[in-house]
Amino acid sequence: MDAQVRANVGVAAVSKRKPVRRRWPDWKSHVAMWILLALVFLPLGEMVIISLKSPYQYQAQPFGVSWPIAWATVVSNFQGGWQAISPYIANSLLYSGASLIGVLLLASFTAFVFARFRFAGKEVLYYAVIALLMVPGVLTLVPQYALVHHLGLLNTRWALILPYWAGGQVFGIFLLRSFLGGIAEEYFEAARIDGAGDWRLYWNIALPLCRPIMATLAILNVIGTWNDLVWPMVALAGKPGLENLTVGLTMFQQEFFTNYGPLMAGYIIASLPLLLLFLVASRQFIEGLGSGSLKI
Amino acid sequence: MVGWRNWAGIRYYLYLIPTFALLVVFGYYPPISAIYHSFFRWDGILASQFIGFGNYVRMLHSGTMAIAAANILKLIIWGLLAGILPALGVAELLLSIRSQRAQYWYRILLVAPIVVPGVVGLLLWEFLMDPNYGFFNTILAAVHLPTFLFFASPQQALYSFMFMGFPWISAVNVLILLAGLMNISRDLFDACALDGATWFQRFVRVDFPLIIGQVKLLIILGLIGGLQGFTAQLIITQGGPAFSTEVPGLMMYQSAFTYQQMGYASAIGLVMFVVILILTIINMKYVRTSVEYQP
Repeated sequence: MDAQVRANVGVAAVSKRKPVRRRWPDWKSHVAMWILLALVFLPLGEMVIISLKSPYQYQAQPFGVSWPIAWATVVSNFQGGWQAISPYIANSLLYSGASLIGVLLLASFTAFVFARFRFAGKEVLYYAVIALLMVPGVLTLVPQYALVHHLGLLNTRWALILPYWAGGQVFGIFLLRSFLGGIAEEYFEAARIDGAGDWRLYWNIALPLCRPIMATLAILNVIGTWNDLVWPMVALAGKPGLENLTVGLTMFQQEFFTNYGPLMAGYIIASLPLLLLFLVASRQFIEGLGSGSLKI
Repeated sequence: MVGWRNWAGIRYYLYLIPTFALLVVFGYYPPISAIYHSFFRWDGILASQFIGFGNYVRMLHSGTMAIAAANILKLIIWGLLAGILPALGVAELLLSIRSQRAQYWYRILLVAPIVVPGVVGLLLWEFLMDPNYGFFNTILAAVHLPTFLFFASPQQALYSFMFMGFPWISAVNVLILLAGLMNISRDLFDACALDGATWFQRFVRVDFPLIIGQVKLLIILGLIGGLQGFTAQLIITQGGPAFSTEVPGLMMYQSAFTYQQMGYASAIGLVMFVVILILTIINMKYVRTSVEYQP
């Protein structure tokens, strides 16, 4: 009854009465968030703590901070980690970088063609591309290995880069076509009147306009290739020196099996490239990862 | 003139050549090859011998596959619960925070661990769950509680994979659910408050029905990802001890790359694909779609 009356008299009456009692005060949410965040960061916290220890300090007290922190130990741990992990980081930078540039160019140009031109069979071709989003990794892993073997690309860098281009562009075309399709025709019409050809329309109009959505695509692509494990493991198994970071980390873990200081330091070093990217583009990370809903 | 008109049409197809050249080789060929070779005994390189449904019959009679299927079923059910429920709780927590600034920073902090390579996450958890010197057993022993064997025990290994990642807050899922919650009109929340609805009543009658679309998406993504997942098992247990953590994806991997039985591996991959397809269609068709709120 009371609620009915209140709803009827509307906003004016509500503002006069005391604010509605809040059952869940803000500070409780903050406390809950901090507890949850502490648990989320616990393994990473241990990683940092152990990276500061010498073997003796680890034996004496494995999981707490060992005071005083001996900086000579820290330096030697991180030097050991860096020596073991840096070649793999260099390889991964190459694989992820090459993948990224190729995917951005291929996806943006093809999406531009699909979005802004009319030609026979366009929709059929577009759906032929998008259908590949339904093909899961388990179906392609084995025949792709045989394929790469027959092409003579096994144990070469192309064994990673070419499939990354092929696979990465599919989602990119999907993402960018809908975005480019939504841009007003006036932009392109104006450029056409000024005598711009297809290439100039793409390079000077479409590409700058879809920069924000390309950032999203870039982040998702880098996270995907940076973390890829199974394909590099089988495609590069026969040639030491080409391993990417993830494969290198599994080997590194066996190498430093009981020497936890450099091991954890190596894990930290392995996280730095994406950490740097995250620091300059945290907003794009959040938008990119949140756009997972676009995948279906 | 006619030549020019032809060129005008043809150039669009030329523009698509780089994309389709890559897709024909690395996009369309592999799945077709998988279907074809699933009917062969195939070492992936030279020898291939047609054996009809031999690979599929073998899969049906494989005791290991039965174990792997039961394991993946448990892992998927757990994965869906652990992937969605904590994320939903955190999304509601974030929604309840008044300060947009604080909310933004919490989101940043939740997402930040994504910079750590996934393999490092797995190796760290394996390290913390070491039966002899691990973090958890050290703490349990210190307070005189029974310790666990974790991945060393056939009885505990599968559940150890479930425990990994505690408190199971998937930042991506939080972002997706929070986006859904933030789309709900403030007026509805105000109306609930005015009507004196408890938080739980509001959640059941307003929040959840209006984000069912996001939940459905997470279920589909969780099914697709969960069914295929085998990285953790590959890194930590290789399916052991005593097949207790064997999963179909790992069986496919081992058949192909340990035993060079690529035909059998292709058949396993194809069956997994069909299961994924069926689950996705069921989910799309029968799980209630989002309730549209119209003001």
